[in-house]
Amino acid sequence: MVVIAVTGKGGTGKTVISALLIHFLSEQGKKLLAVDADPDSNLPDALGVNPRKTLGEIREVFQVSRDDMGTMNKEQWLEGKIYSEAITETDSYDLLVMGRPEGEGCYCFANNLLRGVLRKLMRHYDVIVIDTEAGLEHFSRGTISNADYIVVVTDMSKKGLATAKRIKELSQELKINFKKIYLVGNRIMGGTAVEIIKRFSDEEGIELLDLLPYDEKIVQLDMKGDPVTLIDNSEYSEKIKKIASILVGGNNGKNEH
Amino acid sequence: MGVLILVERKKIEIPADAKKVESVGEETEFPFDISPMYEGERIRKGDMYVELGGTEQPGFELVMALPVDEVEDMKVTVVGPDLDEMEEGKAYPYAMIYYVAGSQVEVDLEPVIERRNHDFQNYLEGYMHLNQRYDIWIRLGKGAIKKGLKSLVQIAKATMMLFKNELPFIEKIEAVYVTDADLVNKILNEIAMPIYEERDARVEALHDEDVDEFYSCTLCQSFAPTNVCVVSPDRPSLCGAISWFDGRAAAKVDPEGPNRAIPKGELVDPIGGEYSGVNEFAKEESGGEYDRVKLHSFFEYPHTSCGCFEVIGFYMPEVDGIGWVHRGYPEPAPNGLPFSTMAGQTGGGKQIAGFLGVGISYFRSKKFIQADGGWYRVVWMPKDLKDRVSKYIPDDIRDKIATEEDAGTIDELKEFLQKVDHPVVKGVVRPVDGKKITEGWEAEEEVVEEEVVEEEVAEAQPQMVQQVPAPAMQQMPMGMPQLPQLQLPQLPATSAGGIKLVIKDAKIYIDKIVIKKPEKEKKGGK
Repeated sequence: MVVIAVTGKGGTGKTVISALLIHFLSEQGKKLLAVDADPDSNLPDALGVNPRKTLGEIREVFQVSRDDMGTMNKEQWLEGKIYSEAITETDSYDLLVMGRPEGEGCYCFANNLLRGVLRKLMRHYDVIVIDTEAGLEHFSRGTISNADYIVVVTDMSKKGLATAKRIKELSQELKINFKKIYLVGNRIMGGTAVEIIKRFSDEEGIELLDLLPYDEKIVQLDMKGDPVTLIDNSEYSEKIKKIASILVGGNNGKNEH
Repeated sequence: MGVLILVERKKIEIPADAKKVESVGEETEFPFDISPMYEGERIRKGDMYVELGGTEQPGFELVMALPVDEVEDMKVTVVGPDLDEMEEGKAYPYAMIYYVAGSQVEVDLEPVIERRNHDFQNYLEGYMHLNQRYDIWIRLGKGAIKKGLKSLVQIAKATMMLFKNELPFIEKIEAVYVTDADLVNKILNEIAMPIYEERDARVEALHDEDVDEFYSCTLCQSFAPTNVCVVSPDRPSLCGAISWFDGRAAAKVDPEGPNRAIPKGELVDPIGGEYSGVNEFAKEESGGEYDRVKLHSFFEYPHTSCGCFEVIGFYMPEVDGIGWVHRGYPEPAPNGLPFSTMAGQTGGGKQIAGFLGVGISYFRSKKFIQADGGWYRVVWMPKDLKDRVSKYIPDDIRDKIATEEDAGTIDELKEFLQKVDHPVVKGVVRPVDGKKITEGWEAEEEVVEEEVVEEEVAEAQPQMVQQVPAPAMQQMPMGMPQLPQLQLPQLPATSAGGIKLVIKDAKIYIDKIVIKKPEKEKKGGK
């Protein structure tokens, strides 16, 4: 099992990159779980998938109905709901949308159950790609326990780089136990930008995975609300394929049993 | 207490003309792996051979305890189409019925055994089991069929083997699996549903005295380090999420985890709900902060309050009654304080007489603050909350409990309680032992009026700390000044100048108040 968390400042294109990674890895026949862990993102749209319920919605139902469950086992109930209602099956992968943050009340117990269910669920996939916001909320709450690779997406902006730096610090504090943290530059134009990002990568010790160009087709697909996975062979898509094979290279993607 | 049994336990009658397969004896070889590592494996639609139960077809699982001589050990009967007769990609009805027997196997163990079907079947490679009771949903993988799985007999034998290995008190086990739609529906409606209902009824009838162990919950100790949630049949966790059954299930899976067994020990106070085992546990887990906890008491050694509680109870000395307000009610309660303020003062794992955090499901409890009069001491709750728990309120007190529609301030509440003749007005008799625990205040009220006229109101009053009403308060004379809305005798308009007194967010300790008119004036009177 390889867990890849794709993160970065909002608007840097991390969702497009997540969607393309999901698309190419599942095409390779990997058993893949896509996780949308950013309430502000639109990974399902980028993938062209119509999702079912979110995990957040199910957690809310649980908060309300738990009083009426009698001797029923709540963990089993939650697991059943997640498997049957929160996971959207496509032909080539499964999608789980985490959804909105917690409402009022105490979620200690609900989250404790979720942790257990998600841990059991996740270990059966070859690859898990998580599109997560820069605050890494689900990691800090422990609903998602760890990631092998953290891919930080940044554009040419100073803010994008500042966020990347903060994510690196945060992921060390949270003890996510990652093997490696990578940087991906997105929509990079001009030599100066390349220089700045390369220098940042050296200074901060975040290995630069690749620099992706500005791609007109993606912008157009995005504007129309069409899935970005429709892009044909382009420099952009070839580069993402290369990133995918670095992340899930060799035997990394083989399920142990 | 005897176990409530409403449905006779007997073997299911299988129609003589039904298509069935029988097999007796242990199987040594299975065409699939069996291991806990398969738990959680999700069989995807594309990899699925067939679906059993689920959203499209009826399905259920049921364990029945039978006498030893009635159970034929390791026998399986499959009624209806078997796996090799099923069409790939389709969904079928599915019932799994187990007869279990053993000297320790009793009817009240049925749900405990039944729940393990989920665990054991998920150990089977290529077999996904979800949910429980009448909600079960199974998927069988194509891979399992390819590896040689042909019959549900193999599934049943493997499952029964796991039952016997993991739960050695099961001496004999027999399975009947049904895939025939009519028969699945018939057994579900005529036998399984009544048994599930019987079990739920048994839960309602289960009390603290019926069990040997309670369970702790320390899930939220990161927020409330000295909080020790004690979960008993009559007292769910403060957050409302964990019942005694949840605690038991969690403690079984992880005995050293956040939910641990608390041996009850000796019963110290049957009315307050005090147990020596709970006291010892509380002392240990709170780092010595608290050494006594009464589960069903509001004033004396009450349960600690974490911060997660759904509802907070607050004592109002002016009416000698208890109000409750839930997290979702934003307005101030009649005591002038909103939920958030009271929660802020009480949370963090403190034991504070006069405030108590509870879960909404505690209102169902037959022992609901029984030491302090239970429902007969309750005077106010928001309408929302009252509606949610209405059916648990005794008929003769339901209409006497005010909501925000009846009273928003202490004065309005007082008036309302007198109008409906609430027990607090004349004195509360607690139902648990028939003891009169409060004196009432209606008679005293007139005394107050007179004292106001005497204009040395507070002199006759006992000491009082507003935020922490002491347990002894119940026995206090009732003519005390109203707090926190401090009322002063009106100064006659003739007084020159006059004063404007504004007190905001203050904690006031008053030993004595003496208010006098200028000396030249004569005493006023009626």
